[in-house]
Amino acid sequence: MALFKKKDAGSKQSRLFFATDIHGSERTFRKFLNCAKFYKVDHIIMGGDITGKFLVPIVHEHDSHYRTTLQGTTETIEGADALAAVKERVETLGFYHVTVEEDELHAMQADQGEIDATFRRLARERLERWIALADERLADTNVKWYVTGGNDDQPEVLTVLDEVKSEHVVNCEGRVVMVDDLYPTANCGYSNPTPWDTPREVDEDRLEAILEDAVKGVDDFTSAIFNFHVPPYDCTLDDCPKLDWSTDPPSPVIVGGVAQSAPAGSHAVRKIIEKYKPLLALTGHIHESRGLVSIGRTTVINPGSEYGEGIIRGCIFTLQPGKVVGYQMTSG
Amino acid sequence: MEATAAKPEVFSRKASGLSRVMSPWSAFIYNFLTMGVIFPWTFVWAPEAFPGVSVWMACLFATLLELPIALAYVWMATAMPRSGGDYVFQSRVLGGAVGFPIVMSGFVIWILQWLALAGWLFANLGLAPLFLGLGVHYHSTGLINAGIWAEGKSGIVTVSIIGMALMATLLTSGFKNYVRLQYLMFIGTGVIVVIMLAQFLRTSPEHFAVAINHFNGIVDKNPHYYSWLQHDVSSTGFNISPKFALGATLLAAPIAWTSTQWATYSVEQGGEIKGARVFKNQMFIIVGSLIAVGIVLALIAWAEQRAVGTGFFNAASASYYGAISKSGTGIGSVLPFPGVLAIVISPNPIITVLVAFGFMLASLQITCNCYIGCTRIMVGMSLDRTLPAWFSKVSSRFRTPVNAHVVYFALGVLWCIGYNYSASWYSLTLGVTFAAGYVFVFSSLAAALLPYRAKALYEAAPGASLKLLGIPLVTIFGLIGFVAGMGAEIAFVTKSGYGLKGTTPYIVVAAIIAACLVIYWIGRTYQKGKGIDVSYAFLEVPPE
Repeated sequence: MALFKKKDAGSKQSRLFFATDIHGSERTFRKFLNCAKFYKVDHIIMGGDITGKFLVPIVHEHDSHYRTTLQGTTETIEGADALAAVKERVETLGFYHVTVEEDELHAMQADQGEIDATFRRLARERLERWIALADERLADTNVKWYVTGGNDDQPEVLTVLDEVKSEHVVNCEGRVVMVDDLYPTANCGYSNPTPWDTPREVDEDRLEAILEDAVKGVDDFTSAIFNFHVPPYDCTLDDCPKLDWSTDPPSPVIVGGVAQSAPAGSHAVRKIIEKYKPLLALTGHIHESRGLVSIGRTTVINPGSEYGEGIIRGCIFTLQPGKVVGYQMTSG
Repeated sequence: MEATAAKPEVFSRKASGLSRVMSPWSAFIYNFLTMGVIFPWTFVWAPEAFPGVSVWMACLFATLLELPIALAYVWMATAMPRSGGDYVFQSRVLGGAVGFPIVMSGFVIWILQWLALAGWLFANLGLAPLFLGLGVHYHSTGLINAGIWAEGKSGIVTVSIIGMALMATLLTSGFKNYVRLQYLMFIGTGVIVVIMLAQFLRTSPEHFAVAINHFNGIVDKNPHYYSWLQHDVSSTGFNISPKFALGATLLAAPIAWTSTQWATYSVEQGGEIKGARVFKNQMFIIVGSLIAVGIVLALIAWAEQRAVGTGFFNAASASYYGAISKSGTGIGSVLPFPGVLAIVISPNPIITVLVAFGFMLASLQITCNCYIGCTRIMVGMSLDRTLPAWFSKVSSRFRTPVNAHVVYFALGVLWCIGYNYSASWYSLTLGVTFAAGYVFVFSSLAAALLPYRAKALYEAAPGASLKLLGIPLVTIFGLIGFVAGMGAEIAFVTKSGYGLKGTTPYIVVAAIIAACLVIYWIGRTYQKGKGIDVSYAFLEVPPE
C-alpha cells in the first residue's frame, strides 16, 4: 500500500501561490485570497509582515466635514461618500484609520500608550476580519491559507491566528506543517537586526537557534519548504539601500552623491539553507529585491511587495516531490 | 475634496521601510540629459524641411505637444512605479499582446539604432571637433587629420564600439557607478549650454562670418565659406531667407518632439526612484524636465540664429540635412550643430576642450540611456516570462542584470556596423523617432484607459481624486496625448519632410512589430507547455 501511495505522490503536481509583506493592505489581501481561484492553485502561502505600519486619524471638524493627512497631503473631506472613499484608500494603503474629534487627536498625540493600544486593537480587528473572510471565500474548496508573521508583526496581534478558529487558515508560526500533504514546511517570521528596531528581530546567533528549532520537525529535506521571512545574506534577493542607523528615521548612506546599497539578509538563514538544502525557500522582507536565485539545490524566492499600490506580487510554483517543475512571478 | 497645505497628523509604529536608490533630482537630470538638449536635430533638420520655420517657436510648440503626454505619464508613473515602465503600463492596461510587441519593437529593438547613433555623435560632435579645434588653434595637420578620421566610417565604428563596451562595463559594475557619472554628465551639459549661449549672445553675424571663414580656411581650405555656403545653396533655387510661416513652424513641432518626447524616459526605471509614487515628484521629474529642456532648446535656437544669421542658419540646414548643393561639395568638415559653431566662434583650447568633452559625455549618456532603459524592459519581460528567465538573471557579484547587458552590447555592435557601413540601414535612422513615437502614443492610450481597464491600480494612485466634470484627468490628458502623438505619427508617415522617405522604412517598422508579435506568441506557447500561463503576468486579480 505504501508503495502505491509513494508512486501516486511522486507523480502528483502541486500548484502553490506565495506572497508576502502585504502590511495590512485590505485590497491586496482580498486579491491574495482570490489568487487561489484566479491562478488555479491548490494552496496559498503568506510569508509574514501582515499588519500595517501607519495609523491615520480622520479628524471630525464639524457637521459632515473631516480632514486627514494622507501621503503627505492634508485633505479636507466633505460628505459621507468622500469619507468612505478616503477610508477605502487608507485601507488599500495598508494603514489603519480612526475617526476622532479634535481634542481626542490632541490626547492621542500626547499619549504614546494610547497610540500603541489603538494600533494593536485595529490590527487585531483587521486580522480577525481577514480570517473570517478567508473562511467565507475559501468555503467549498480544499484550499488552505498557510500564514506566518514577519518581523514587523507584533506578537500580541499574531495570537489572533491561534485564537480564532478557522477551517482554511493554518497558523504556521514556528511550526512545521505539511503543505498539500507532501511538502514539510518550516516557518519563521523573525529577522536579523534592522535599523527600525522592529518588534521581532534578534541577533544572528539567536536567529540561528530559532531557525534550528523551526526545522526540527522536518524528516525529509528533499521536498522541504522553508518559509523564512528574511532572505539569505548576499544572495541578490536582499539588496537594499545602505542606511545610516543613527538617524530617525534611518537615512540612505550617500557617498559622492550616490546612494550606497548593501545586502541586508541574514547570515543565519543562509547557513540553515546551505546546511539542510531544502527544495524551496520562500522569503520576503526586502520589498525592492524581487527575484529568484538558486543556492545549491534550493530555489530561493523573494516575490517583492507593492502592497501600497493594492498590487499582489507573488510567485506560482508547480512542485513535484523533490522537484520544482516550474515557477512564474506574478503581479496582480 | 480639496488638497490643502500639508500638516502631518499620522502615527507610525516601528516597522521596516522601503528605500530606493535614485532621487527625484537624479531622475530629473536623467530625463533632462535623455532629451539631448545639446544634440538639437531640429536646428539642422527643420529649416530645410519646412522653410519659414521659426525653430525656437517650434521647440516651444513641441513642449506643448508633449505636455499632455507627460502629464498622462505622471499618473501612470505614480500608479505603477515599476521598472520596465512603458512595457508595464501597456501590458497591464492593454494586455501583453499589445505591450510586448509595441515596446519590444519600438524601444528594445529600435533604440539599438540610437546606440549606434550615440557613437556617431561621440565621434562627430565630440572627438572630431576636439581634434579640429585644437588643430586649427595649433596649426597642426596631424590633429586636423585625426579629426577628419574621427568623422569617417572606421573612426566612428571604432569609437562607437569602445564607448559601448566601456558603458556596458560601467553599468554592469553597478548602477551607483553610473549615477556618479551622471552628475558629471549633467555638469558637462550645463557647461556646454552656458558656453554656447555666451558665445552666441556675444556674436553678430558679421563676427561669425569672419570666424567661420578663418576656421574653414584652415580645415577645408575655404576662406570664404560663410558667403560661399549660402550661395552654394541659394543658387539651387532654395530660398535661404523665407518669410516667417506659422504653418511651417507648427509642422516642425513633431521634429522638435523627437527630443521632448523623451521627457518620460525615467519611467523605465520607476522601481529605482525614491518617492516614485509621490505625485509632485513625478511632476518635477517628467513635466519639470520637459519644460526646462523646452525653454533651453528654444533659447539656444534663438541665440544661434541671431548669431550666425538667418541666411547661414537655413543654408547650413539645407546643405547638411537636405544635401542641397550646387557645387556638390556640401557642408564640409564643420557640422552645423550649435556646440561645433560655438567652437568655431573662438577656437581657443579651453572652449574647444570643454565643449568637446561635454559632447562626449553627453554621447556616453545616450549610450547609457539605451542600455539602462532597454535592459530594464527586458528584465521586466523576463520576469513576466515573455522573454526567457535567463535575461533577468542578476549577477551575484555585480548585482546587475549582466546577461541583459551583454546581449544588448552584442546587438549594439552589430547595429553599429550595419548603421555605418550600410547606406540602406543608415537611411532608417529616423525610424527610431517614429518607432519611439508609437510607444508613447500607446502608453498615452493606456493612461486614458487606466481608470476603466485597471480600476484598482488607478484608485490606489495618488492622482485618482483629480477629475474634471467627473472625468478622470488622466483620461483627459491620455486622450489628448494620444491624439497629439498620433497626429505627429501620421505626419511622419505622410510628410516626406519628416525624414522617412519611401515605403521601405515603414515596411521595416511593420515587419519588426510583426516579428515581435511572433516572438510573443512563440514564448507564450512554449511557456504554456511548462504549465505557465503568461497572461497571468498582465491580469489584475479582482479583489472581490
